[in-house]
Formats: sequence, structure tokens, C-alpha cells
Amino acid sequence: MSVRLHPFRLLEPESLTDAVDALGQLDGEARLVAGGTALVAMIRLGLLKPDRLVSLHRVPALGQIGVEGRSLELGAMATHADIERSRVVRDGWPLLAEAARRVATPAIRTSGTIGGNLAYAEAASDPAPALLCLDAEVRVVGRGGERVIPIASFFRGFYEAALEPGEIVTALRVPPPPAGARSGYVKFTSRSAEDKPLVGVAALIALDSSGRCADIRLGLGGAAPTPIRADGAERTLRGETLTDAAAHAAADAAAREADPLSDLMGSASYRREMIRVWVRRLLVALRDGTR
Amino acid sequence: MTLTFTLNGQPCATEAPDHWTVLDLLRDGLGLMGTKYGCGEGVCGTCTVLADDRPIRACLVLAAHVRDRALVTVEGLEADGQLDPIQTAFAERGAAQCGFCTPGMMLAAKALLLESPTPTAHEVREALSGNLCRCTGYAKVIEAVLAVASSPR
Ligand code: FES
Ligand code: FES
Repeated sequence: MSVRLHPFRLLEPESLTDAVDALGQLDGEARLVAGGTALVAMIRLGLLKPDRLVSLHRVPALGQIGVEGRSLELGAMATHADIERSRVVRDGWPLLAEAARRVATPAIRTSGTIGGNLAYAEAASDPAPALLCLDAEVRVVGRGGERVIPIASFFRGFYEAALEPGEIVTALRVPPPPAGARSGYVKFTSRSAEDKPLVGVAALIALDSSGRCADIRLGLGGAAPTPIRADGAERTLRGETLTDAAAHAAADAAAREADPLSDLMGSASYRREMIRVWVRRLLVALRDGTR
Repeated sequence: MTLTFTLNGQPCATEAPDHWTVLDLLRDGLGLMGTKYGCGEGVCGTCTVLADDRPIRACLVLAAHVRDRALVTVEGLEADGQLDPIQTAFAERGAAQCGFCTPGMMLAAKALLLESPTPTAHEVREALSGNLCRCTGYAKVIEAVLAVASSPR
């Protein structure tokens, strides 16, 4: 039997200023809608009953993908499908393209947006670990004007982003990865291939001429209440040669610093073990060039 | 609200309540019952339709968000009394049993073939990864899509 959405009024502002105003009106609960892949499902399930939705679809140019200086400028309304297909992203930020390609299923990726994905602040996000590795910056606008939030401080808690009420994510700025860096994203699912990641591991490594880790960045999804950087694991590797033993030690460190939750996909202790397995496998595969 | 868009190749103008999804618009507003309601939350894929040649979940996309876009539903696969090659292949190869997943399967396959006319079996599996089927075990579905891809046009 089909379940209807609880009725709401839809506002379709044509500028960011109007969108900020529409969110700020005080009559009842307003929610911002981008692709709707998370929000509409939550309304259908009765988890949310907003009085108004403020759509970003008519705000011009919010979905653009381009390069400014040497950084990627990614509009918040760019969909995962846009990102995985973008030449610019695939050539310059392959880690991000790879993560975008692993989000849900093709017909979700055509609607779901990068801004929506981040604002939802889900621990099991696919793009977030990649963007953490890439040191992205999140641009937001609200009643107080514009500000830039480093992604490392964007995720505040379980489904909680560092956004003030009425603030809108407008774009991401992603600096170029270090020259010659190798990177990859692995997504481990426990039920079916298109599921959310039980754990997701993104890694970016730059080796110097003697094979030592000049730069090492590890991002984890599903490993804590929010997506995180595995700082402890990174420290064990920085300046070190990436031997099998070093990869093991880093994986152990990542498993130790993880703070996973239990849910229908798997228990906290299973997640911790899978972090250990997938961090090690990804590091070794990047070292050996086998992925 | 008033919505204008292209539906199966024809211009369409209609009224819809703000809170309608594309699925409500098709089934309740326009009486096109080919697009199915399965889970209503983006998981099963039976509501898949095309918007500007790309697959979308009709149960998740707000009707307002397809304004001025070109929608194709299962009713629009056939042209001038001729079945789309995908429909023929599904029928000939037994890729439909109860048929509930079939409209979404065919449109997901159509989207793939529009973007990449000669996909590998792996690409077909990936393209259909969001379409659940309780009957066929998927083998005949994948065969049918590959048969269309390899048939001369
Ligand atoms: S009804 Fe839309 S995905 Fe199931
Ligand atoms: S044919 Fe019955 S669900 Fe697919």
C-alpha cells in the first residue's frame, strides 16, 4: 500500500538570499531540500513532518563543477552522478570520483547531491572520507553572511553538521592532491553491494624517492558517530617505509582510534575488525599499485 | 502548483499539490499506472523512470523538480505501435515473471544503453544494482539487456 507524504508547502527561491530568508521565517518547521533522496524518505517514514520545504533547485549555478586557481570548486547541488562523470574531477581528484561512484545506486546518484550528503552528516557517507583526505573546505551562507568551514571540523556529532540554523552549504573547495599521490576508496558492505558502507576507507599516500610516506591521509566512514580522519594511524606511518608490518601497525592504530556504533549492518566490534582489515588491504594495494 | 514538462515525448501541463513526488504525479495525477510503488523510500527501484535520459527514483524526487525536464515512463518505451528492443528482449527471454519490477528494470536498462550502447555484463549488473527482483534471479534480465546491446541496429 502506498504511503503518502505528510503535506508541506514548497518554496522555490531563485537566489541564495531568498533561500536564507525562506528558511528563517518563523511559522513552523522548514527544511531545506536538495535532491531529496534522504529527506523525502524520512518524510515518507514519518520521521519528519516539516510544514515547509525550501528547494534549492531554482537557485542558479549551484551545481557547477570547475577549477579556480588550482582548487576544485564544487557546487553543493552537483549530484554524485555529475561528480563521477566529470572529466575535471576524474583527472584531478580521482579519489573523489571513485567515492562518488560508490554512493547507493545509479538512480539515487542522479538526484543525491554532494551538499546534501555532507549536511546530512551521516557516519556512513561515501564521499566524506575522501573529502576528509583531500582537506576540503565547506562554504556556507546564512543570515550572518558567508563562512568557510574546514571539513575536519564540519562533522560535529551523530547526524549533526556544524551548521547554524538557517545556514546553507553552497560549495566545496578542494585543494589539489600532492603531486604523484596515490589514492583509493574501499567500501565494505555486509548485506548487498549497493548498501551503505559498513566501513568505508579512503586513503591518500605520497611516497618520497626512498619509498617513505611523505604524506599519508586516512579517512574513515562508519567508524565513529561521524566520518573521521584516522590521525593516530597516519602518525604511525608518516616518514616511515610502508612495509607489511607498518601497514599492520597503522591498521591496528585505526581500529583502536575508531569509535564505531552497532546497528543492523553490524556490531561495533565487527566494524572495528573490518576497519583493521580494510585499512591494511588498501594501504598494501596502494603501495603495490594493485588497485 | 502548475508544472510543465515533457512526458513520453509530448508536452504536458498539469496541476499538482506541493508535496507530490513524481510517482504521485504519474499515477494519481496522470493515471499512468505502469510506474510502480514498491517501497516508497528509494530501495527497490520499481518506480525508476527517466528524466533527461537518466534514471531517477520517482518515489523520492519531488514533482516540482522535474519541471521543464523530459520524463520517460514504461508507457513511453513503445513508439508507433513498435515495442522498444528492451521490451522485446525481456518478453522473448523470460526476463519478467510477476512483472512488478519490470518497468523499473527496463528503464534502468534503457538509461544504461543510452549512455553506453555496448556495456559489459559487469556494467549491466552495476546499472541494475538498484532494482530488486523477487522472481527471476536476475540471470534472464541481464541476458536480455546484453542481447539488446549486441543485436545489430
Ligand atoms: S518505490 Fe521507489 S525505490 Fe521502491
Ligand atoms: S519479475 Fe517479479 S519481482 Fe521481478
